[in-house]
Amino acid sequence: MNRLEAKDVLRWVLDHIVWFILFIVLAVFSLTVKGFAQWDIYRNIFYHAVFVGILAVAEALCIISKEMDLSVESVLGLAAVVTAYLTGTSTDASGLMLNGYLVLGIVVIIGVVIGLFNGFLIINMRISSFIVTLAGYLIFRAVGLILTHGYGVVKLRPELLAVARTNVGPIPVMILIMVGIYAFFFIFLTRTRFGKYIYLVGDNRTASYNAGIRVDRVLLGVFVLSGVLAAFAGWLIAARTNGSSPGIGTGMLFEAMAAVVIGGVSMQGGIGNLTGVFAGAVLLSALSTAVSILGIPPFFMNIFRGGFIIVAVVLDAVISRLRPRLM
Amino acid sequence: MNGAEGNTPVLEVKNVKKSFGKVEALKEVSFEVHKGDVLGLLGDNGAGKSTLIKIIAGNHRADDGEIFLEGKKVEFSSPAESRAAGIETVYQNSPVCENASVSANFFIGRELCGRFPLFRLLKEGAMQKQTRKVMTDMVINVPSVKTKVGLLSGGQRQAIVLGRFFHWGGKLALLDEPFAALGVAESKNGLRFIKELGSRGLPIVLITHNIEYALQVANKFVILRHGLVAGKGLIAEVTADDLVSMITGAINVNQ
Ligand SMILES: Nc1ncnc2c1ncn2[C@@H]1O[C@H](COP(=O)(O)OP(=O)(O)O)[C@@H](O)[C@H]1O
Ligand SMILES: [Mg+2]
Repeated sequence: MNRLEAKDVLRWVLDHIVWFILFIVLAVFSLTVKGFAQWDIYRNIFYHAVFVGILAVAEALCIISKEMDLSVESVLGLAAVVTAYLTGTSTDASGLMLNGYLVLGIVVIIGVVIGLFNGFLIINMRISSFIVTLAGYLIFRAVGLILTHGYGVVKLRPELLAVARTNVGPIPVMILIMVGIYAFFFIFLTRTRFGKYIYLVGDNRTASYNAGIRVDRVLLGVFVLSGVLAAFAGWLIAARTNGSSPGIGTGMLFEAMAAVVIGGVSMQGGIGNLTGVFAGAVLLSALSTAVSILGIPPFFMNIFRGGFIIVAVVLDAVISRLRPRLM
Repeated sequence: MNGAEGNTPVLEVKNVKKSFGKVEALKEVSFEVHKGDVLGLLGDNGAGKSTLIKIIAGNHRADDGEIFLEGKKVEFSSPAESRAAGIETVYQNSPVCENASVSANFFIGRELCGRFPLFRLLKEGAMQKQTRKVMTDMVINVPSVKTKVGLLSGGQRQAIVLGRFFHWGGKLALLDEPFAALGVAESKNGLRFIKELGSRGLPIVLITHNIEYALQVANKFVILRHGLVAGKGLIAEVTADDLVSMITGAINVNQ
């Protein structure tokens, strides 16, 4: 009886290992880095994690279904540029100064169209998602730059600024939006049929197809969701930065990928959950916050990121070997 | 002796021929499977057993001959079509979702869920309960219906695949060397399970090398040799030696 319980506890710990790592890292930083243990710092860590965090949800959906979407970062960039272009008041903007929420609708439609485009090439033309979304990575960023002739746009409409500046109690709305997205997609993935199909299709496509699951539709849905999430993150980041610069969000693809992998989503497909990804995104954000407080040159960041990816993958390998013995 | 029951066979294979280039894999093969049959399809390596199964399942097209399912002529051009018609082929490694639970694999494609479109909530508890009941009822031993299928043995997986097929109203199971990768104890379990399903009325065609296995679970046999039927009949009327002689060609009891 006792041994059984010990096993259950150990298995539970292994399944949530990234949370333990996060807590240990936060504890160590709080105790050793001067000025880290403050509410402001913690709020910044979460705020900083919002955009990568949302891209990581998109990426997790794709990777669980055993595909990938390298275009998320550029879709974010395009959406940010479109948002700034349509709502901005500076000279390089369109001059339309549309309402921010109307533009959110436009941006979501852009995300849907990009998702359908990616999905069509991957599913109907049978081109690998790596190739299709690599092309998308190059194309969508460029489209944004063409729109504003490569210039940044600043000074957006007030309703957008409000999104970035409003707090509920001590917590910024942006953080609540991210947490809400995680909560929604957590329930979506674990409790709904479509969510379950994403896992099953990623796990074994033949078995899923044989069982009558419409694999094509599931994958199309995944790419559309990925496009919409990335576009929404772009709208948010435009609000946050009160504009868009040509290189907005550059490097976020790899951070999102890192968060997904550190969070325990396996490239094998069919494995992983969003709680881990959330912890992964926060962990990376905590890391870069600590690095900047300590005054370590920012180019060291990628060494830490890379290190965590390796730690995560090694841990994953060890855990999958241990798991059969913990039955 | 076949068709003595007078009712339509579940499966009738009539004068089927198949060549691959110069290789005549099936020269001319006819046999029937009736309700309640567990038919042992025996023969040496290269006799044409797998080719025959693949033609029935729609992986290959016969060059000549006809196949009838419950009296109706069928021509499957893909495994998906035969599956839709109620035929399941189980190989050594039938695909399952390894990281999904036993109940998820049992209900795959048939999930119990709410009606709210795009956000159909799964009835996980009900599915687990029903899976548990079926597993107990069919004597499939799994630690828990929540266990990931990837952690189960090959035999347990096959049992789940086969049990699932039977439970959801499958008509005919084709098993091609299901024990090839299993140990002795596991094969025994598999045999018991095949016998169980057979006794519940699921018609089964079992390809195996092992004559002992065929004697234990089958009630009928068909022997292929060089693409021809070298013998068929009731298991109860033959000995192991008879079967071996027919497989090797020492005697020919072709009718
Ligand atoms: N796809 C194929 N292409 C060419 N020859 C084949 C193919 N499949 C089977 N054969 C040949 O047909 C014969 C029967 O094979 P098979 O049906 O696999 O035999 P069994 O399953 O009884 O061992 C063998 O000579 C084999 O080499
Ligand atoms: Mg064979």
